[in-house]
Amino acid sequence: MDAIRTFKLTKRFNSLIAVNSIDLKIEQGELFSLLGPNGAGKTTTINMLCCLLKPTEGTAQIMGYDTIKEPLKVKELIGVSPQETAISEHLNSWENLALIGKIHGMSSDAVKSRSGELLEVMGLTERGKDRVGKFSGGMKRRLSTAMAMVHAPSILFLDEPTLGLDPQARRATWEHIAQLKGKKTILLTTHYMEEADFLSDKVAIIDEGRIVAEGAPGQLKANFLKTRTMLISAENITDELMYGLKGRYSQVKEVEGKLRISDKKLDFRELTDYLYLKGATVHSAALEEPTLEDVLIQLTGKEFRD
Amino acid sequence: MRFWEIGKRNLKELYRDPVSLGFLLGMPLAFILIFSFAFGGQDTRPISLGIVDEDQSQISAVFVDCLESIPAFEVSSPIYKSQTEAEEELNAGGLSIYLLIPHGFGEAIEHHQASKLTLAYNQAAPMLPQRVMPIVREAALGFLNIPVPLNVELSEKQVEIKDEYINYLIPGMAVFGLMILITSVGGIMVRDRARGFLSRLMTTPARPSDFIFGYTLPFIPVIIISIAIYLGVGILMGLSIIGNFGLAFLILFIMGICCMGIGMILGTLAKSEEQASGAPWMFIVPLAMISGAWWPVEQMPSVIKSIAEALPFIHAMDACRDVITKGVGFTSILPELYWFIGWTAALFAIGIVLFRRSMAR
Ligand SMILES: Nc1ncnc2c1ncn2[C@@H]1O[C@H](COP(=O)(O)OP(=O)(O)OP(=O)(O)O)[C@@H](O)[C@H]1O
Ligand SMILES: [Mg+2]
Repeated sequence: MDAIRTFKLTKRFNSLIAVNSIDLKIEQGELFSLLGPNGAGKTTTINMLCCLLKPTEGTAQIMGYDTIKEPLKVKELIGVSPQETAISEHLNSWENLALIGKIHGMSSDAVKSRSGELLEVMGLTERGKDRVGKFSGGMKRRLSTAMAMVHAPSILFLDEPTLGLDPQARRATWEHIAQLKGKKTILLTTHYMEEADFLSDKVAIIDEGRIVAEGAPGQLKANFLKTRTMLISAENITDELMYGLKGRYSQVKEVEGKLRISDKKLDFRELTDYLYLKGATVHSAALEEPTLEDVLIQLTGKEFRD
Repeated sequence: MRFWEIGKRNLKELYRDPVSLGFLLGMPLAFILIFSFAFGGQDTRPISLGIVDEDQSQISAVFVDCLESIPAFEVSSPIYKSQTEAEEELNAGGLSIYLLIPHGFGEAIEHHQASKLTLAYNQAAPMLPQRVMPIVREAALGFLNIPVPLNVELSEKQVEIKDEYINYLIPGMAVFGLMILITSVGGIMVRDRARGFLSRLMTTPARPSDFIFGYTLPFIPVIIISIAIYLGVGILMGLSIIGNFGLAFLILFIMGICCMGIGMILGTLAKSEEQASGAPWMFIVPLAMISGAWWPVEQMPSVIKSIAEALPFIHAMDACRDVITKGVGFTSILPELYWFIGWTAALFAIGIVLFRRSMAR
């Protein structure tokens, strides 16, 4: 059985179509990332999957339970870390974790030992007894993520869990998520593409409510990157040569004394031959690894949208 | 026991926030203080004084005239001829204090002998004789021109008082004070919704009833403390509870639960914190007024009266007043009790339905 399945899942807010007929199929134990620009519909999708929003059309199932017909069954299985950091300001970390754990029916002892582990992972042990209202933004977010995991749910929804975290905390969160891989089904959203690349089994790129690409990160990079980029370190590059290169390739830049050349049809051999012919001495040439970010930007159009 | 966990959290949120807690508990006190100031204004008004002239002599008649001319007194007419008449009036609550001019008063004055006047007063108004006595003394001196030994004796009467304003006011104020809770109950829920915390809780298996009870139970201690403040301060101000104190408390307690139900419905429906905690003021004060919190509703138009009758507040106030001033028992207030218990049950049922609908929009 699939852990998460949606059928033509659609959400309309008045005239705005936030999520447009999405079909997702996420297997148990899979780490699936939903990527896309601001306002693409990621949070709206998650909110429908965790029974907070009613789909306008279509249905969603979590472990075979319909989110509308059997929300309580669904809610017993899931843990959610919302995009908005949602914690109880006048409580301390232990109390926040205990609240969620106990609502899920955990015993006091189980909650305690589990909370201890999670606070350790999130680097909050020292501040565990402090009221969380006084926490920094990143600390709040770490606690919020821990609250999604306290009852060891089999399906985790993490909406931008690493937003605003310092590099160490982000690493620690990644490592913890990576440890859960295979054991839990995780639906993640993030704007850090290297994070998605590093963690995900599968990603879906969503834009304006529609899924525009789906697959393993490597597969996406291979399939969708039509341009290839090379970094070349060379001598004797004349203005004439630069002019010639710009005529042949779509993008030619000088970056820190190296030439950065991109084009849809970029052939290593052809390029070096051309440089040689024009009297340049090539010291090194390397094909630049494409990133998920390149894929995202290419698929969702403009680099910035308003 | 999910509601218990949510309730515990809200209890902590509420009681660890000194400002909001101070507001909640300070409110009843502030209201009582404000009203006791307005109430205290009565002290500058003339004291209504009954006079019993048993002597029926010329001298006593002149003395009565003299007392009547004192602006600080409003001598009730007619002048009683016997003490029993005045006693009756005192018992009926129409009079709080009277002066007895005994037989032989005129004769004693004529012979320059000492005489004795008696001030009888209702024990529920212990401050009255202290204000009346010096004036009577002064008047006697001025009237006789020469100091004649004149004893003014005090006689405290245990009287059931029915029409004291304080006895009317305190139940009304208590219900009004509980209505103020509406704003706080709604406020905490709306704040949690605005900050996404309520959404987070909604992704757990908590049911609508868990939320409804979890967001109202923490206010129970506030209700109890508020009622204690109202009744306690009331007693200090002269409230005399004839009936069962516990029953009066219970009536107000149920009313408090009823108000929580209203607050929670507002918290479910409101879109912003202002809507949940600001807007209710626009109906709380008028509703308290038409329910007779501060003055009787008899003179109001019948339409308004029937609106007030349909709502729970007037029933709680009346039941509470009956217990306090008439000493009626549990069975005689049952009809009133049923009415606002019914309201309370209905409000909670509606609250749960509305909350369920708000869970997945
Ligand atoms: N409650 C709502 N009412 C009206 N419109 C909404 C509501 N929630 C979301 N939207 C709209 O739906 C669209 C998708 O929003 P959503 O929050 O799902 O985006 P997102 O992909 O999570 O973006 P981000 O990366 O910024 O978090 C946006 O245009 C947003 O304005
Ligand atoms: Mg989002």
